Amino acid sequence: MDKNCEISDHERIVVTGLGMVTPLGVGKDEFSRRLFEGDCAIDTVQTFDTRAVTSHLGAEVRDFTPRDFISVKNLRRMDKTSSMATASARLALDDAGIAVTPENRDRIGLLLGTAFGATDVTVQFAGTLLSEGSSSVNPILVPNTVMNAPAGHASIELGFRGVNTTVTHFAVSAETAIAYAVSELRRGVADVLLSGGVDILSKFCYECLTKFHGLSPDNGGQEGAHPFDVERNGYVAGEGCGILCLETLAKARERGAKIYCEIVGAGLGSSPSGPTAWSQDTEGIKRTIQRALRNSGVKLKDVSAVMAAANGGRVLDQVETRAYQELFASREHKPLITSIKGAIGESFSGGGIRACALALSVKKGCLPPTIGLSRPIVPMDFVIGKKKIMNGNQTVLAGISFGGTYAYLVFSSFNH
Amino acid sequence: MSKNKRIVVTGLGTKNAIGGDVAQFAAALRQGVCGISELDLFDTSEFLTHKGGQVKNFNPRRCIPKEFSLKRMSRADQLSYAATMEALTDAELYPLPESIKEYTGVAIGGGAGGLFEAENFYADLLSKGFGRSRFSRLSAIYCASSADRIASNLGLLGPKITLMTACSAGATALGLARDLILNGQARLMLAGGVEPMCRITYAAFNALKSVDEDVCRPFARNRAGLSLGEASAILVLEPLESALDRGAKIHGEILGYGVTCDSFHMTSPDEKASGAVRAMQAALKDSGLAVEDIDYINAHGTATPVNDVTETRAIKEVFGKRAYSIPVSSTKSMHAHTLGASGALEGIVSLLALAHGFIPPTIHCVERDPECDLDYVTEGARPADLRFVLSNSFAFGGNNTTVIFGKYEGRGAAHG
Repeated sequence: MDKNCEISDHERIVVTGLGMVTPLGVGKDEFSRRLFEGDCAIDTVQTFDTRAVTSHLGAEVRDFTPRDFISVKNLRRMDKTSSMATASARLALDDAGIAVTPENRDRIGLLLGTAFGATDVTVQFAGTLLSEGSSSVNPILVPNTVMNAPAGHASIELGFRGVNTTVTHFAVSAETAIAYAVSELRRGVADVLLSGGVDILSKFCYECLTKFHGLSPDNGGQEGAHPFDVERNGYVAGEGCGILCLETLAKARERGAKIYCEIVGAGLGSSPSGPTAWSQDTEGIKRTIQRALRNSGVKLKDVSAVMAAANGGRVLDQVETRAYQELFASREHKPLITSIKGAIGESFSGGGIRACALALSVKKGCLPPTIGLSRPIVPMDFVIGKKKIMNGNQTVLAGISFGGTYAYLVFSSFNH
Repeated sequence: MSKNKRIVVTGLGTKNAIGGDVAQFAAALRQGVCGISELDLFDTSEFLTHKGGQVKNFNPRRCIPKEFSLKRMSRADQLSYAATMEALTDAELYPLPESIKEYTGVAIGGGAGGLFEAENFYADLLSKGFGRSRFSRLSAIYCASSADRIASNLGLLGPKITLMTACSAGATALGLARDLILNGQARLMLAGGVEPMCRITYAAFNALKSVDEDVCRPFARNRAGLSLGEASAILVLEPLESALDRGAKIHGEILGYGVTCDSFHMTSPDEKASGAVRAMQAALKDSGLAVEDIDYINAHGTATPVNDVTETRAIKEVFGKRAYSIPVSSTKSMHAHTLGASGALEGIVSLLALAHGFIPPTIHCVERDPECDLDYVTEGARPADLRFVLSNSFAFGGNNTTVIFGKYEGRGAAHG
């Protein structure tokens, strides 16, 4: 349904809390400070040995102590994706000032996106099975091999019992989850939905990415993340979790919550593409962004900023740039464009962290810089060097995945 | 979201242990055919159990048009693609008209994805080392690959989502697909689920000791666990008006669904069954139905000792005295537990029951568990004129989904 002018507070969805475990820090305050200061979290990978492959950089989560957020009893059963998701969910609820109680727990839920799930656990399980036989596999590992484990663990630790769903679609997993959460809140099946994405860096995942010619320095040169830059040569793998606390405006008003921004709509779409290939065609991006704007009741000319998907990949950045050039060609004042993947790497379900970054940007009225960008592919209004003030109220979060899948969300500033 | 729009099912397709297509499946459900037998997909000699509900004699080349390469498709991709072709043909939408592609999407409940193929990769990785393993085998490992292949091959430009809530994923996919049409993201949806048999899943359920080494016996005193199965099930969903406009045959209507979370334990249901109770209540509310309206319950009925009593308790709590007069059956006794596909497969069962006027039986339940005291239709299929059918799917992670289907009476109604 395309949005019309009359829309009730029960159908308006606002962001009232942010929680994250990221390479740029744990929790909103540290993440926000480092993001807008233009800090970069990319460094040599420390948690596993990268000598077998040609890439060595990563954006790892460091200084994360799960014990600070999770009870010992539940933590024992959790893998890394689950502890990151549970901690982020707790941080988002705390930030929103929501305590889960027997009265509200059935109306609080979680819609989580993950691209690959617990690749570390799956590989460990498969390894034992194939090398030592079925009698040696450890049943304790089984629950964590399913992709819905993080959302399940988070619900057990935090006690919420409403809608709980895990979605996956490669690099748009988190954006898709958030679009779904918005739809569920509008349907009235929950009062509060946590939504975002989680993925981890594992040795297995990292090595596979090098084989798929994704990671820098894929086509030679110095290794690094350079979104939109002429010298980009692949992305740097990252990890982490970012979760938004979403609720209807009616509910947020009722409890006097602080509001970061409003999510006014979403667009989902596809383009034919080969397996694991990035689509070369700009139509998929343009069609989906138009769909999201129509769904939001926002005009293309009013878009003031784009939180782009570009990660330093050769095809993705080129196609995304071209799509925005074509889309905004007739506009005199072009929107600002930034990508934070030069700072936090590509974690596939990083849409959760990027959504948190956009919510903070809308609240502050400025955008964080694209780290690693010095010479743009084409001259556009990129945020280079340091943060930049944005004019206007309408912003777009871009989700683009290999395999030809798109999910765009429209975030608007909220005026009381 | 436009609540007054009605969403109907106009196409069905499946591959499962008792049906190579929907017609065969309908006949097998009516006859009470058991599809649980010795597996021949892989060597089971090292496992504790050897049986399962395998799709036997599956020849993908026979159901997938020649122009599509099978080379980079996993077994899951092939099974789901075969079901998609059948569903589209059934809906008289193959080849898909160009005009409808822009707003056609895919929502699939996934499970093991390409793990069957990935096992060979893991084996290579362990024996030959990283440099010598064949990475092309990995391109279809993740579940989102099935939706990607369907959308890319058919040229679909609409939303694409993969649900990963283990055994409730296929059910949630149906509900989500309905919502995507209701809120304007799509006009036609291919929705369903796919689960391939593979050693990793088989080993996992063996390790949890939740598999019956013979055949599963839902609600029976001597039940000892589930039988693992594999299947694909795809449904074509569209608004009633568009189905009527094009003179389509209508199998039934998706009236509503409910999703909740136990927030209790990763692999055991909450014995108070609160999550299951709330899922059924949410689905009734979403459908605008009362407990008196439900004519048949297609149970989750896995035949694990704990599920069947818990589910029975939940049904009694929701339906009160009426629970004793509603037929309840577990068709998993015939087609086995198909995990990520089960909610969609049992959606097809529910629609066939509505359109063909019969209640499929629970087979293998010879001596009933005294704690399971409902009408489980153990004496064979029963003719019945059904109006509303409720289908339960409960999963690891404490995810519960209930979907309610309605008989469609009027122009275009499908009959058995």
